[in-house]
Amino acid sequence: MGFLDWFFGREVDQAAEASASPVAIVSKARFVVVDTELTGLDPRKDDIVSIGALRMTGGRLEIGGAFHELVRPTAVLDGKSIVIHGIMPSQVAEKPLIDSVLSAFVGYCGNDVIVGHCLSIDLSFLNRESRRLFGAPLRNPVIDTLSLYGWLRNRQVSHPIFSSPLNGLRLYDMAKSFDIPCEGAHDALADAFITAQLFQRFMPILVDQGIHELDDLLRIGNPGMQGENIFAPGGRANF
Amino acid sequence: MMVDEAIRFLSNIPPFQFLDDPLLRQVCGSLAMEYYPKGTVILQQDGAVSDALRIVKKGVVKISLKPKGGGDEVVIDYREPGETFGLVSLMGKRQKTTIFAVQDTICYLLPKDRFNELLGTNPAIMEYLLQFHLTKYADMTSREIQGKSLFLGSSDHVLFTTQVGEICSRSAATVDLSATIREAAQRMVEEKQSAVIVLDANGMPAGIVTDTDLRKKVVARGHSVDALVGSVMSGPVVTVDDKDHCFEVILKMLQYNFHHVAVTREGVLMGVITNHDFMLLQGRSPLAFSEDIEHQKTIEALAPVSGKILNIIGVLLREGARAANIIRIISELNDRIVRKVLEIVEAEMGPPPVPYCWVALGSEGRKEQTFRTDQDNAIIHADCETPDQEQKARAYFGVFAASVRDGLILCGFEACPANYMASNPEWCQSLSTWKRYFSSWVSEPTPEAVLKSLIFFDLRPLYGDESLARELRDHLVQEIPDHATFLGFLANMLVQNRPPIGFFGSVVVERGGEHKDELNLKIKGIAPLVDIARLFALEKGVRHSSTNERLQALRPTHTIVSEYADELEYAFEFITILRIHNQYRQLESGKPIDNFINLDTLSNLEKQTLKNAFRVIIKVQELVMERYKAFII
Repeated sequence: MGFLDWFFGREVDQAAEASASPVAIVSKARFVVVDTELTGLDPRKDDIVSIGALRMTGGRLEIGGAFHELVRPTAVLDGKSIVIHGIMPSQVAEKPLIDSVLSAFVGYCGNDVIVGHCLSIDLSFLNRESRRLFGAPLRNPVIDTLSLYGWLRNRQVSHPIFSSPLNGLRLYDMAKSFDIPCEGAHDALADAFITAQLFQRFMPILVDQGIHELDDLLRIGNPGMQGENIFAPGGRANF
Repeated sequence: MMVDEAIRFLSNIPPFQFLDDPLLRQVCGSLAMEYYPKGTVILQQDGAVSDALRIVKKGVVKISLKPKGGGDEVVIDYREPGETFGLVSLMGKRQKTTIFAVQDTICYLLPKDRFNELLGTNPAIMEYLLQFHLTKYADMTSREIQGKSLFLGSSDHVLFTTQVGEICSRSAATVDLSATIREAAQRMVEEKQSAVIVLDANGMPAGIVTDTDLRKKVVARGHSVDALVGSVMSGPVVTVDDKDHCFEVILKMLQYNFHHVAVTREGVLMGVITNHDFMLLQGRSPLAFSEDIEHQKTIEALAPVSGKILNIIGVLLREGARAANIIRIISELNDRIVRKVLEIVEAEMGPPPVPYCWVALGSEGRKEQTFRTDQDNAIIHADCETPDQEQKARAYFGVFAASVRDGLILCGFEACPANYMASNPEWCQSLSTWKRYFSSWVSEPTPEAVLKSLIFFDLRPLYGDESLARELRDHLVQEIPDHATFLGFLANMLVQNRPPIGFFGSVVVERGGEHKDELNLKIKGIAPLVDIARLFALEKGVRHSSTNERLQALRPTHTIVSEYADELEYAFEFITILRIHNQYRQLESGKPIDNFINLDTLSNLEKQTLKNAFRVIIKVQELVMERYKAFII
């Protein structure tokens, strides 16, 4: 076989369907990884200040086409929350109101699975706005990376991250233990990006643990399972 | 934000750095990112083709091939951050190689449609990528063309195809830091092992105690066996991953001169592997060989060991090791032989009257030796304080250098025809005399002075008091900037040696004589590249001595290198591998080894790649000419 033949492959095309990717099983699933920034944690009185999101298809994270919007809050931003998210009132004064941002976000998500770290908090705000605006919560399937972490930890997966004592369940602690860079400014999109990479790290490990179908992933990633997964019988939650 | 990060990364690597800003931003916007844990098969030979060009962002991947018709997997290449893979796959209809993540790896993916679009609008990108991938593949293809036998029937492949975890079945003997030496020794006896790993409070290896430690540190010194094991252990322990190939582990052992290495699986201690395990696996490994060298007590016994070096290079070539790696191993082994000869002669003669440093010069100094090299060396000895001491030093080093020269000849290192050897009194001097030499060479660059200085700029301390060599190098680096004329002289010499590409783009060969129709790869290909890297290194005061290291070090600071570093490195790699293969063929067929190659033995692709390498050299020579206009005659 000559080099050029070799190079350009002038051979019969074999429809070889190989499992090239480590996440072949969930490789077709489409995800939107999201993070929100809030004025506080109380869904009755606090507000969404920004939404950051990006798309993944299986383990493949899209660099372009991210969603990142600041929201003009209805209430006044107070000093306490500015310290947390660093968004100044002047920055959001000219921004769109939550109604149009949420509509855009719903459009961005389509029917994709929504993924987030400690997602139930973000969801409670997103759903509140969605109910108000559309009369119903978001219909997308959801996955919480914290639930996935707890599930893997409970399984005593042999990866060092899951057997060493817990440093903390916060996104940055977890990211650091996976060697995901966390430097730089932190906004909703930056955190969504970190979450997405964490999700990316989990995928091959989950596949090893027999999680092949999206349904299984949704079951163990259920945001409601967070506590049960981590504070499992046997009390291995040693942090 | 993610796009900006990608732009920052791609704007430093070819070919993407050649794109203008808006286009680069557009390209980065279409990228995806994937993560592959260590051990992932990213693309599988004969599997589905890739749907994207992958750019390594972090980690390392290995490209390997299983020859058709059987035989073992052959490692073709590794790709590191900034390098791409999957181009061939992108353009073909079947995946030709297997690509495997050697470390946890992150890649950017440029989707196929976007890539094709880019090629349509920016042919330069295509040209660059083709050249990069072609040069890398050329080596492998030439072997494929020249006979499949290189792939098959070799029993030496095991080192490259076996993961260290496969041969490390035994569990390690371990003790805690609280154990005594006696307890540690008992564990070793119980486990029938030659070493015991000492674990810290977290169960991680803190140190190791070997048979040798017990002999040297305990018995010989009368150390109490009831003392804590920590007092005699060596640490930290070199650890390797169970998925590392034996070859990589052996390199590590050679590098650190350790015989015991801890093997971990997913961060957990799995066992200990020793050089003995490798020797069982493989009779002719570089490591076994270096062991052989270490054990010799006389030059007569060392000489036959030295002869075996050729076997090892043959093994490496058959395994498809990269030129850079082969050269590294040859240098490593040659260094050991030279050091051993020095050690033996020194033991025979007794200690020198003043400290000295044995330095390797020329190709040996650059770690760029191939099969057979001349001796190029010198002695720098400390300054003498009295005439009496000076006389003693002269007498001692005179005899010493002559014995070493003869010993090296016995071991297969031919004497230098130009007499650039420490046995030549002119090349065996005190530090201050050497400094004076240099100063006169650079201030009055006669052709002979330049020739001498060239070989000396590539000096590398090999044995003895390295600080002497360092001081001389410091002196040299300080002197150069004041002597623009000298650099001009070098530049002038460099541009006179143009690679032989004729008017119509054909390679010009020798017209007559013994080597009619042949081309001297060393003079016409290697030398210009070495000279270019050396000149630039001198300009910037870079202290490295090998061509690759120099180019690497100059990349961030030198304007010409920053633009041409990759091309220069590939050119050097390619010509070197051509030279090594050619010499190995000469050796196997019993012909004398030289640097001449007959172009008719090359494939069209190899000829094309050689021409491209020459064009790069000429391009850079032209830039040198521009820079040193005033000095070019």
